[in-house]
Amino acid sequence: MKKSILYLLIAIPVLFSCRKKEADKFDGPGLNDVYGAFSVITPLATNVDSVDFSIGQTVVFTAELSKITDWEITIKGQSSGAVKRIEGTSSTIDASVATWSGNTTDLPIFKEEICDVKISFSGESDTLETTIKIIHAKLNPGFLVADFESGLNPGWSSFIQSGADMDFQIKTDSSAAQGNSYYNMAGTVDWDYLIGYLYFPASAYGAPQYPLNANPDNVYFNLMIYGEPGLVNTILLFQFQEDEDANGGFSNASEDMYSLQIPVNWAGWKMVSVKYSDIPCLVNGSPSSPNGNGQHNPDKIQQINMLDLANPVTGNAKTKVDYILFTENAPLNP
Amino acid sequence: MAIFSQAGKKVQFVGSARSILSNSGFETQQEEDTVTSRKSAGGYALIDLGFKINPNASTEILGMIRIKNSLGGFWGSNVAFDVRQLYVRGVAGNVLRYQFGNIDYKMTPYTFYNHNADMLLAGTGVLKMKEDILNYESFYSKNNTWRQQGAAIDFGLNFPKVVKDIKFNGFITRLNPSNLTNIFERFYGGGNMIVHQSKYLTFGLNQVSVFDLKGTASSENAYKNSVSSITYDLKLDQEKWKIGVKGESGISKAGYALDTSQLEDFFANTQLYVKLKKLNLEVAAGYMNNGADFRSAGAQSKRINYSQSNNFFDRYTNNQIQRGISMYDLYNDPLLYASSISTGIMTYDPSVNNALPYGTATFNRKGVYSTLHYADSAEKLTANVSYYNLSEVRGQGTLNLKKFNYLKSDVKIDLGKTFAMKRDLSIEIGGSYQLTKRESQIEFEQVSLTAGALSLGGQFEIVDKLYLLANVYHFESKGNDLLPVRNTKDEIINFSVYNTNRFENYYAGGLKFQFSPEIYLSAFYETNWNNGNGFNPYKLNQFMIIYNMKF
Repeated sequence: MKKSILYLLIAIPVLFSCRKKEADKFDGPGLNDVYGAFSVITPLATNVDSVDFSIGQTVVFTAELSKITDWEITIKGQSSGAVKRIEGTSSTIDASVATWSGNTTDLPIFKEEICDVKISFSGESDTLETTIKIIHAKLNPGFLVADFESGLNPGWSSFIQSGADMDFQIKTDSSAAQGNSYYNMAGTVDWDYLIGYLYFPASAYGAPQYPLNANPDNVYFNLMIYGEPGLVNTILLFQFQEDEDANGGFSNASEDMYSLQIPVNWAGWKMVSVKYSDIPCLVNGSPSSPNGNGQHNPDKIQQINMLDLANPVTGNAKTKVDYILFTENAPLNP
Repeated sequence: MAIFSQAGKKVQFVGSARSILSNSGFETQQEEDTVTSRKSAGGYALIDLGFKINPNASTEILGMIRIKNSLGGFWGSNVAFDVRQLYVRGVAGNVLRYQFGNIDYKMTPYTFYNHNADMLLAGTGVLKMKEDILNYESFYSKNNTWRQQGAAIDFGLNFPKVVKDIKFNGFITRLNPSNLTNIFERFYGGGNMIVHQSKYLTFGLNQVSVFDLKGTASSENAYKNSVSSITYDLKLDQEKWKIGVKGESGISKAGYALDTSQLEDFFANTQLYVKLKKLNLEVAAGYMNNGADFRSAGAQSKRINYSQSNNFFDRYTNNQIQRGISMYDLYNDPLLYASSISTGIMTYDPSVNNALPYGTATFNRKGVYSTLHYADSAEKLTANVSYYNLSEVRGQGTLNLKKFNYLKSDVKIDLGKTFAMKRDLSIEIGGSYQLTKRESQIEFEQVSLTAGALSLGGQFEIVDKLYLLANVYHFESKGNDLLPVRNTKDEIINFSVYNTNRFENYYAGGLKFQFSPEIYLSAFYETNWNNGNGFNPYKLNQFMIIYNMKF
């Protein structure tokens, strides 16, 4: 009996005191990441010197830091001035956190150009720089209504009031949001809200109706609008006329027209993206009931009207538009 | 005080009464402090009046109300009425013991246990009186129980062979009510089975769980923390000596239902003990290994959460900075103490106890320890010494582990008995020392923190039943540590730098007249000097009169 007890006396501590080794992990953030000194271990690099975004190539930025740090990569087109920013918090910068597919944070859109790349670190004075060449810019899938790169489509129709300083035309210069050209709309009309318009009938694209997905929740209307600094007078009104009976025309009395009213109250280029099902029916700027089937039917849009409006009392209006595009399933990621 | 019926004591009055008068002074060394009030006077009188009713021989009902009148309250103002205790208990069929209502409960040190991890030294003299009041106010017992509201049962079975007897215990308590929106009805329950196999072996199976009752809130994210353990005591008891191995080992699991992963870990604590009966000496040596993810709400709840503010002279200087919780406050302010268990990890003070801030159940600790207990048969001399040499199981923010050395001892000498004096004269000396170290070649990972306390107290019966009380207490901590900052899920998200250069000196002296073992009147003066961690030193003085009785 005494022997048995002796064996148990030895066995019990051994049995209950073994545990796994935990030498390879610790709780919480590493102290080095909290209190360690910052330094760049491996400088900023890219996986390619030049990139063709149009065929799906990407740029991967890599760098190695001594501690977890807030960092920001800024890519700026030397010609376009387009800016892409990638932010993160890590000590390793690699494909999982710093891959660029050619998209843009601040318009305009990148062109075929050389880009300056800079990485900066929060609270640190260090910056690292490199360059990357864009062979071809990113292609954006969707139905292009207008990018004004090839002049006015003869199928479009336009009207310009006979006001003062009227300047409705395609302009080609480096300030375009996409490509090299945009549509400029400017002038002063002191007797009417309407300054001018440009209509985009589906027939201009060789079809009676726009070739869009029938589900209004999957269709996004995108365009880029330039707000003139110091001028907040412009109102852009887009009207989407649906030919519900497919008779080749639009009847305001019996068919739906949805309207997107955009007060241009910012400075510089801005992308506007709206889900088609979110576009309301407006009468004189106020929500109203549509006169047709009451359903958003993007596949029945027969014509899109772009009206440049401004309050005649408050002076002239000036804006630019570019890259009007329908996308499916998601807003445009330029 | 009892009412006797024809069948005996049917109704008894039990309870206690206390009256305290205090006059406190606060001094800072900053002459420019024109904001902080320098004096505070207060006090109260209270009575806890309990009605213990025995409707029959096997049932007992207790209802206790508290009437408290703050000093200066007249005609009903500043008078509070509370229910302090309610329970029904009894024995059903001479087999099953039960208790409903307020229950004081504990199980094992790793499952459900009220560790006293902040008051490391045994109080004597004035500090003993104050500690007793703190414990009474917070429902702490000498048995390390937590006061809970719920129900408990226990029963036992005797066997002719194989095992001698088996005892079963079970409890269920309610930790917090639902708000019917996002807070669940939270319960705490469990039980154990203690098998007394023979005079050589006793072992137990223990299980406790904190759990949210699904359906009592609109959320699906219910919390659960369960702990299962085995306890054992294997011993050989001879006439002159006793030797044995005892301990507890188990596993725990904690987390929310919607969490992708749960915290799971295990713990083990085993010790070899030897008792030399002729020498009145008992020594033990043990090994403990509490996993980094071991969580046990019932055993890791602290009595004090150090993230709370002081209630007594809580701000000072013209900038009205907060006065941190000092050792003096631990003895002085009952409002600092928690009366219920907490499911989150409570904040601790590394200067007070960095080695085992959650008692024996502290997670992320492993190492060896030893204890010594000596008490001669006449209790002229009683000595306790314990030493822990521990380290973390898993590093915090680094693979380097903190190491802890913790030595604690107290010696009580009854000079009255030793020298056969007619009067009572006893002194008690206690000391604790903790050293926390983390070695690293990287400077910001290095940790070095020492903390120590020394207590000397005594009481001398100068005339019959009139005692002279005296206490000296010194506390000191110096060094640095990096303390984890946790989110609401108790995950470490950052570390805060902890630098300390703190010391306190406490002196107290007074008189106590002991009417009976349960009734005394005492008047004493105490002063506490605190260096304010080296920045804003202050001094607290207090004259206090306490009348205390239990009946």
